Amino acid sequence: MNHISDAIKEYILSEFLPGEDPANLTATTPLITGAILDSLATIKLVAFLEERFKITIQAHEADADHMDTIAEITKLVTSKM
Amino acid sequence: MPNGIPGVRRGRASALPPGRVRVATFVFILAQLALLGVIIRQFQIESAAFVRLAVLTFAGFAVHAWLPLRWRLHFFVALSLAGIALVLGVQEGAWLVLLGLVLIVLCHLPIPFWGRVAAIAVVGLALAGLRVELVSVPWSRAIWPILGSMFMFRLIVYLYDLRHDTAPFSLSRSLAYFFLLPNICFPLFPVVDFKTFRRTYFDADAGRIYQTGVDWMARGVVHLICYRFVYYYATLSPAEVQSPATFGQFVVANFLLYLRVSGQFHLIVGMLYLFGFRLPETHHRYYFAASFTDFWRRINIYWKDFMLKIFFNPLYFRLKRLGPERALVISTLVVFFATWALHAYQWFWLRGSVLLIWTDAAFWAILAGLVVVNALYETRHGRARRIAAGTWTLRGAAGSTLKVAATFASICLLWSLWTSDSFTSWFALWGALFDPAPPGKNALLPVLTAVAVLAVSGGGTGGRPPAAVRGWRRVPWPTLTSVLSLVILSLLGIQAVYVKLGPAGASMINSLRSGQLSRTDMALLERGYYEDLIRVDRFNSQLWEVYMNKPQNWLDVQGLGLERFTGDFRQKELIPSTGVQTRFGPIHTNRWGMRDRDYERTPAPGAYRIALLGASTVMGWGVGDDEVFEALVERRLNESPPAPGFSRYEILNLAVPGYEPLQQLAVLDKVWEFGARAIFHVAAGRELLGAVQNLATSIIKGVPIPYPFLRDVARRAGVDEKTDETTALRRLEPYRGEIISWVYGEMVRSCREHRAVPVLVFLPHIYPGIWQQEAAEVIERARAAGFVVLDLQGIYRGIPGADLRLAEWDAHPNVRGHQIIAAGLYEAIVQNAGQLIAAPEARK
Repeated sequence: MNHISDAIKEYILSEFLPGEDPANLTATTPLITGAILDSLATIKLVAFLEERFKITIQAHEADADHMDTIAEITKLVTSKM
Repeated sequence: MPNGIPGVRRGRASALPPGRVRVATFVFILAQLALLGVIIRQFQIESAAFVRLAVLTFAGFAVHAWLPLRWRLHFFVALSLAGIALVLGVQEGAWLVLLGLVLIVLCHLPIPFWGRVAAIAVVGLALAGLRVELVSVPWSRAIWPILGSMFMFRLIVYLYDLRHDTAPFSLSRSLAYFFLLPNICFPLFPVVDFKTFRRTYFDADAGRIYQTGVDWMARGVVHLICYRFVYYYATLSPAEVQSPATFGQFVVANFLLYLRVSGQFHLIVGMLYLFGFRLPETHHRYYFAASFTDFWRRINIYWKDFMLKIFFNPLYFRLKRLGPERALVISTLVVFFATWALHAYQWFWLRGSVLLIWTDAAFWAILAGLVVVNALYETRHGRARRIAAGTWTLRGAAGSTLKVAATFASICLLWSLWTSDSFTSWFALWGALFDPAPPGKNALLPVLTAVAVLAVSGGGTGGRPPAAVRGWRRVPWPTLTSVLSLVILSLLGIQAVYVKLGPAGASMINSLRSGQLSRTDMALLERGYYEDLIRVDRFNSQLWEVYMNKPQNWLDVQGLGLERFTGDFRQKELIPSTGVQTRFGPIHTNRWGMRDRDYERTPAPGAYRIALLGASTVMGWGVGDDEVFEALVERRLNESPPAPGFSRYEILNLAVPGYEPLQQLAVLDKVWEFGARAIFHVAAGRELLGAVQNLATSIIKGVPIPYPFLRDVARRAGVDEKTDETTALRRLEPYRGEIISWVYGEMVRSCREHRAVPVLVFLPHIYPGIWQQEAAEVIERARAAGFVVLDLQGIYRGIPGADLRLAEWDAHPNVRGHQIIAAGLYEAIVQNAGQLIAAPEARK
């Protein structure tokens, strides 16, 4: 689990939050409802997750219910592996 | 309150079970709601029905907050149904609920998903047929917009979530979702997402949720009051755009009218917070958008999320094999096409007709193009995001300000296209930047910019839509601004307080305390008596709401067969010897085409004849034959003659609906054959504007103009048959004083030639409007021309306009209004009898 959430965190920090203090991004930081992941960022993140973890994410899963925090994204990825 | 509101402290909030609130917090919130209730009533926010609904909501909150959590959703449903009955009445409310239940049941039929979709589509088509009145229905037309707003989009979201969501069905939740309490007062309602509605129910500390609701309602009220300021004081008609400054005012004010939608949405969602629905923000500082994608994300966030869920994501995920950029471009374009199409669909359910206007399509197409380009740029180059607040630098602030200003200016221009009647009228606006123009009006551009900043910056949450809850742990800035706003507004709403602001300030606050039509919309409403208006078909228009209530076959002179075309400058006249029965009584014309009893052509010896010229009010639009003020004054003059020497008084009513001053001049030729001793020209407001509009439309329509002076004015102004109406009005506007002085001069000259007394009766409108701006000039020019002026401006003073008008959508005087006019006119005639009524021998 940890390596999944670490990879997600690293990707989000490098891709969407360059220069941000990593300590500010926790497993429960709201990403979609906190306006860090907008629609463009979400589809980029989905592309990353699909490629990195060889999974397929459905359109209806790219929402705040499944991807609002690193913890939820990790859970989604794990459920598909 | 060291860390927020009373009773809510960091670390202790989580000690409370879900849904529970401390007494101190509850009392603090209730106190704020009491202030909100006072403000909603003082400022007549939205409608009388909304005031009642707000009382029900706040009282319901006081009970709901103390119920066991498992009862609360049921209570909310019961309260929502009670709200429907309160606003619509029990019978109509029952129809609304029954129709809604049918649709909800269809969503849960034990058949395959696409079978349910087909069943709903079939029922939807049947309802559409009923909406356009193919068959008569036992319920009132008033329920269609509400039924539409409850189900037209939420059914789509609901079905989508039923298909993909695994949460168990809850009847109360489904009923709560569709019959949302505030919906009954708002046909324009945010597209609430079902999954979010379910997920966020009491998912945080109840005290925090309630306070956020109050904050958003307070912000909504501020938006709505700012909207009123813009609507009453800053909106201009296209013809008033005469200079670059007024062009700027026009486009900015048009965009700022959107404050009404954001204000309503804040109120709506704030109310839902009081019942535990911690929904996302609906708008987020949209006037501060720094790019087109940013604008799309900040304005009407629920719509953006709806589009993302139903169109963008499903399409993008299917197309991504084409490559991310292609998939992005196609999906975004489809989203904007769907937005355009669904606005037309929405319009159909709200109004019963389809909205298809080229400027509407162009607006969405251009915005789509801009967003696509912006999105591609962001995809390639990224976008700055922060979790913690960034460091402030002068360079960074300057760059942001420039981006915001450029985006704001671009959206203002685009918005003005959206709200224009046609491309021609939009391009005509631009002429104000290049045409030589006289000194323009005092443009309010700086004031409007301040309003935009004030309206959307108050109660901000630091850059992220749902961060109100997060901000709670630090300084409760939204709460402070809410409390301050509520206290200031409730004080400003007290007459004893606002009169201390001086005459100008007190008048302004007083005007903001009621939801009337602006002077430009009032002019449009008046114009709409005689023609169909495209500009009424707009989503942010108060006028549209008034039209929404107007019956299809409201008094229609053309439809009643009372008028005929003349082929001359008058263009139309009343048909002689005809009669119809209207809902307000009979309308008959005599053999001379006057709405009056029959008269011989030549007056009887000893009779004093007055010819009365005017338009619809004078003709008696909306009252019976015996109730027209002309008939009442004639009766009174004969009962109590104002001067000796005449055996009887006769007033000949030559008024025709829609006649403007230039047409009255043409009517004068008809008057003299009836031996009139006095001409009473009734100037019922808008004389200057009406004369210019009449000349412009006559030129454009190719109506022959028999007066060399007017032809010369048209030539000097550069207006001919090929000129579009907006440009023609703008070019003729500088000549309006000259035109009206000439008309009055010609009338007086004609009267003197026929030894008749020229009288101008200045009759005010029931409501404030453009007529007030013109009153002084009209009276001055009339006196200068030689008219005896009977100024009736004070006759309605102290009487509410609603008691004197025919209907909300028709501001003509009703029976009582005509009685007041008759009393005022009779008194004025008596007081001026020496000037008006020449002795019989004087005429010989």
